[in-house]
Amino acid sequence: MHDKTVRRRRALLGLLVVLSLLLLTAYFGESGGGRLHGVQRDFLTAISPIQDGANKALKPVRDAIDWFGETLHAKGQRDAAVRAEDKLRREKVEDQQEKRELHQLLALYKLNRLNVGDYHPVAATVIDKSPNIWYSTVTIDAGSPQGVRVNDPVVNGEGLIGRVVAVEADGAQVDLITDSSMGVSARIGTSNATGLVYPKVGDPNDLLLQYLPANTPASKGELVVTSGTVATSHESLYPPGILIGEVTSVNEEGGYESVNVRPAANLHNLDVVEVLTSHSGSRPAQLSALSASLPAGQSPPTQTAGGEQLASVGSTGEG
Amino acid sequence: MGGSPANPQTALLLRVAAFAAALVFFQIGVVSEVPVFGVNADLSPLLVAFVGLLCGSSIGAVTGFAVGLLVDLTLLQTLGLTSLILTMIGYWAGRLRELRDPQGALAPLVIGTGAAAVSLVGYSLMEFMLGVDAPVSFELLRQIVLGTVVDAIAALPMWLLVRRVLAGSLPEDPRRRRGRRAYTTGGLSPLSKA
Repeated sequence: MHDKTVRRRRALLGLLVVLSLLLLTAYFGESGGGRLHGVQRDFLTAISPIQDGANKALKPVRDAIDWFGETLHAKGQRDAAVRAEDKLRREKVEDQQEKRELHQLLALYKLNRLNVGDYHPVAATVIDKSPNIWYSTVTIDAGSPQGVRVNDPVVNGEGLIGRVVAVEADGAQVDLITDSSMGVSARIGTSNATGLVYPKVGDPNDLLLQYLPANTPASKGELVVTSGTVATSHESLYPPGILIGEVTSVNEEGGYESVNVRPAANLHNLDVVEVLTSHSGSRPAQLSALSASLPAGQSPPTQTAGGEQLASVGSTGEG
Repeated sequence: MGGSPANPQTALLLRVAAFAAALVFFQIGVVSEVPVFGVNADLSPLLVAFVGLLCGSSIGAVTGFAVGLLVDLTLLQTLGLTSLILTMIGYWAGRLRELRDPQGALAPLVIGTGAAAVSLVGYSLMEFMLGVDAPVSFELLRQIVLGTVVDAIAALPMWLLVRRVLAGSLPEDPRRRRGRRAYTTGGLSPLSKA
């Protein structure tokens, strides 16, 4: 009985294998129009309605599986898009930074060609800004090795920034023109009358050009530049013609006239500046030495006391 | 299927035939259209192997031949090629049941994976032997490995499905057979507890 079962099983296997090989050989040996190919085509024709029906019936299943696959694919695409967006945003920020620096360097280059011939400009990057809202001091990465000295003027492409007040080997501190200790000899662009530019107390975005002679012609929008002259003991440390700002309003105060000046340089957004250094013995160096010899404490006087201080300093100088 | 046939063997064969035909259409209509890891799962070797594992070598071999023929006819492939491979798989799985009767929980996974690998490698070898002008490339090996992995993932669900569909029609239900084997070893005999 067992042998019979084994023989039947083996015979069945042999039959199926032989049948498969016969089909294989016959199918492989005949042309495309042969009998087996014809049977195959007929079978396909016969079952095609079933296949169509099955396809339609199974379409929801296929769609559901596709939905999962496409959802996963979409998630992958979304993650890739987020990564690309982050990369583009970083590149945009870098581009904007480079563009701003380039703009400032170009402006400095143009400035150098105009009116700072006696100086040796040293480009520096602002590495630290005063954290308070007045932004009255900044630290730059150029120091004594680059020839930077105390009282050297600091400019950028937009105009006057301030002056160096402390120098170290690896950097220097710069007081901005809005700092309370600053005073800059200046004149209105179309006039020869000079005055002193001080920060306006309580408003870091505004300057005050004081002690202009009465009836000095001044109108809104006129430019205010450094005078570069030694009119009083308040000798300007700065080369002439450096833009400080533009007139926003004119005030008459007794025998003097004062004008409000909006700084030309955006002091809240400083990246690259230029220190106007000078060799010892040159005219700028002499002016700097003279300035350093002046009495300390040139803090901006109040509206009423400023004239007195100036008069006092002036009388000392004259005496 | 219109009532219960008198011969249980016929009932089993009818059930296997209906299930195999449905699965082939499902394979062609759905599974072949949904790539996983860049390849498509092939349920036919799993079906044949599990039928052989549940029904024995003879039914396994016949199922393999019929499913292979159906696949070749439907997909306009070389007639006899898939039949030959699936016949061997069905017979091999059936003999495994008759000789070893694997009862481990992971046995269907191992057998299904083996069937898929044999199917993929065998099909490639046969195509090469028939003179298909294609190089043995890394892409081909990748397809074989990934196809085997995908079929291995589908093996256990497929096993549960085949067993459920054929349950009740099997000549010797594995659960009953397992109970009798345990009983005869004495391990679970009520007499041994006494």
